[in-house]
Amino acid sequence: MAAFPATTNRAPLSRPFWHTLPGLLVAGGLIALTLAGLGALIWQARQPDVSELWNSPYLRNVIAFTLRQAVISTAISLALGILVALALLRQSAFPGRKALLRVMELSLVLPTIVAVSGLVACYGREGTVTQWIGHWLSYEWNLYGINGIVLAHVFFNAPLAGRILLQSLESVPAPRRRVASQLGLRGWWHWRAVDWPAIRPVLPGAGALVFTLCFTSFAIIMTLGGGPGATTLEVAIYQALRFEFDFGQAAMLAVVQLIICGLLWAFMARGDFSANLSPQRSFAGAIPRPDCGVIHRITDRLLLLAFSVFLLLPLIAILARGLPSLSEVVFGDGNALQQLLTASLRSFSIALPAGALSVAAALAILGLGTVRIPAVKKLSNLTPAIPLMVPPIVLGTGLFLLLRPGLGDISQGLALVALINGLMALPFTLQLLKEPFNGLDRASLNLADQLGVLGWYRWRWLHWPRMRAPLSLAMAYGTGLSLGDFGVIALFGSPAEPTLPVLLYQQMGSYRVELAAATALWLIASLGLVFIGFNALGRSKAPSGAQQLSLERLAEMRHA
Amino acid sequence: MLEVRQLEFRYTGDQPGWRFDFSLARGACIAINGASGSGKSTLLNLLGGFLAADSGTISWDGQRIDSLPPWHRPFTSVFQEHNLFEHLDVQTNIGLGMHPGLRLTKDQKARISDSLASVGLAGYERRLPGDLSGGQRQRVALVRTLLRSQPVLLLDEPLTGLDDQARQGLHQLLLEQKASGSAIVLASHDSQDREVLADSQLNL
Repeated sequence: MAAFPATTNRAPLSRPFWHTLPGLLVAGGLIALTLAGLGALIWQARQPDVSELWNSPYLRNVIAFTLRQAVISTAISLALGILVALALLRQSAFPGRKALLRVMELSLVLPTIVAVSGLVACYGREGTVTQWIGHWLSYEWNLYGINGIVLAHVFFNAPLAGRILLQSLESVPAPRRRVASQLGLRGWWHWRAVDWPAIRPVLPGAGALVFTLCFTSFAIIMTLGGGPGATTLEVAIYQALRFEFDFGQAAMLAVVQLIICGLLWAFMARGDFSANLSPQRSFAGAIPRPDCGVIHRITDRLLLLAFSVFLLLPLIAILARGLPSLSEVVFGDGNALQQLLTASLRSFSIALPAGALSVAAALAILGLGTVRIPAVKKLSNLTPAIPLMVPPIVLGTGLFLLLRPGLGDISQGLALVALINGLMALPFTLQLLKEPFNGLDRASLNLADQLGVLGWYRWRWLHWPRMRAPLSLAMAYGTGLSLGDFGVIALFGSPAEPTLPVLLYQQMGSYRVELAAATALWLIASLGLVFIGFNALGRSKAPSGAQQLSLERLAEMRHA
Repeated sequence: MLEVRQLEFRYTGDQPGWRFDFSLARGACIAINGASGSGKSTLLNLLGGFLAADSGTISWDGQRIDSLPPWHRPFTSVFQEHNLFEHLDVQTNIGLGMHPGLRLTKDQKARISDSLASVGLAGYERRLPGDLSGGQRQRVALVRTLLRSQPVLLLDEPLTGLDDQARQGLHQLLLEQKASGSAIVLASHDSQDREVLADSQLNL
């Protein structure tokens, strides 16, 4: 019989502060960083003349244009999203339905700058579609300016809105659908009785989400906008910082943006619309809709086909143009290849630490969640929302102002980029890891407590085997997000030492379309490599049931 | 000697609470009787340290243990189900009871294999719990309990739902354990379990 008190082998890292300390450091660091950034902004913002906001025609234009393009983009994205969602709902037997849904998820991982390069290849001055249409019609189409900005925003956000709305449409309770089916409701009345009530609670949240994304978009405006007529706040901040060195004005604009975003967030939080964005799994089955007649069959399929073409065309263009020019780069004189490889190396040396940072920070915050003190628990719930509320460019601007005197070395700038990218990814990696981490049942936890499987041992034997796959997906996602980042790197990076997205931007800016296509394809391939590589690392040798993770889950949490 | 004195607990304010008071010597077994909801599982959770009592004391050999965390108490629990970590194989499940970080000596590994063989599970070291029947899973849980050699066993319906043959084998194991000096707190609906194993009764 064992002696009592038992001389248990105390597990390493099992003292309570190991659960609390890392999380407190991360949460405290994040809050301090945000406050310092915002503080630096507000401190700087005192100097400029606030009346410039409405007196200076430039600033008035910028604010008006930002709002205008965001409103138009949001309206079109939502309208198209509703139509596509309804069509997908009606045509559940559409042959490419699953594939189309997959393509609609792609906008979650596709770097903005890559998509823009694809859009330029299709609709730009030399674009395939432009030339084809120009051959038949004498219409003068110009991608640059509000046309292209709205087009790109719709390209990204219509699929997003469509997915959210489809989920809410599919969640209509089966009995209500049966009644509608029996009554033979169609057209306007079906919309009023069934579809609209399902969409209505989600629409404000989806609208606010899309509006925020369009309002704060950076890469799209940088590439397709420009000039005083087509500049948004985000780009104006960047220009003030990088070219005019007018820090006061940058700070003032950042504060304006923060106020508008903050008002929207406050509105969302008050109405609790965000809760409605979380998708529910539907078990609808096939209750025939009365409006599945021949006419709808034809129009719906035409719409879905057109939408698929709209989403796929830029990707196909990248592939078609990128493949030959990439092989040219690889087998060419070596100069372009050298440039591409250096940029890749630089990109990965930012993205991998950023991914690792976001995963480590997420784990620390999750550890904080296991502490039984209510205040600490609350902190672990609230902290990850900070990077969502404070736009990265605002955070970046604050830090830029704060660190400017000491920010001489380029490598320090890159470290800062990795830091901010990691924090930006935190809400998403956290969402991916939360469920697997908290998924251990009470019985297992009690058992582990009794056996003394604590601290490091608990991590090693209980969490690690279950979290390999989610961890690798989170790592891939965090890395991928940073790999495709163009906003923060534009602020802190140097044009002479580009990352892949910056290189792509430079090539597009100098109209080297072929080179740009090669870089875009290379960037997509790198992204694919990241996902495939981490997926392979995360696959455990023992077969395990609870590791079904796919892009679909990623999509769900992104909406949540 | 396990002594439970005036141990009181209630879940929420206005519900009637429980009070437990009994003692148990080494090598003895006490059966806890009562309908479901009468507090059997509550008592076992209080003893294991998974619930905190409102008042009263628990002592082992004259030493208070009611404020110790679960891993420092001289108990091993076996429940009706969920005794095993589903994602870990049989050997790891047992081994974690011997060292919480699975730092096992060759000798300890051999003892696991021997014990598995003695309950008819020779060669099952690498199986996952999901591949085992209910009786086999309970035998694995009991093997871990025996190898952990804590002085008190807390058994919460450990044999419910098993077939007769499996029950008899497990009765045998538990009787041997009792004879070697373990104290057993048994909560079971089954009168046969109580007759075979228990020396005294506690009616809730």
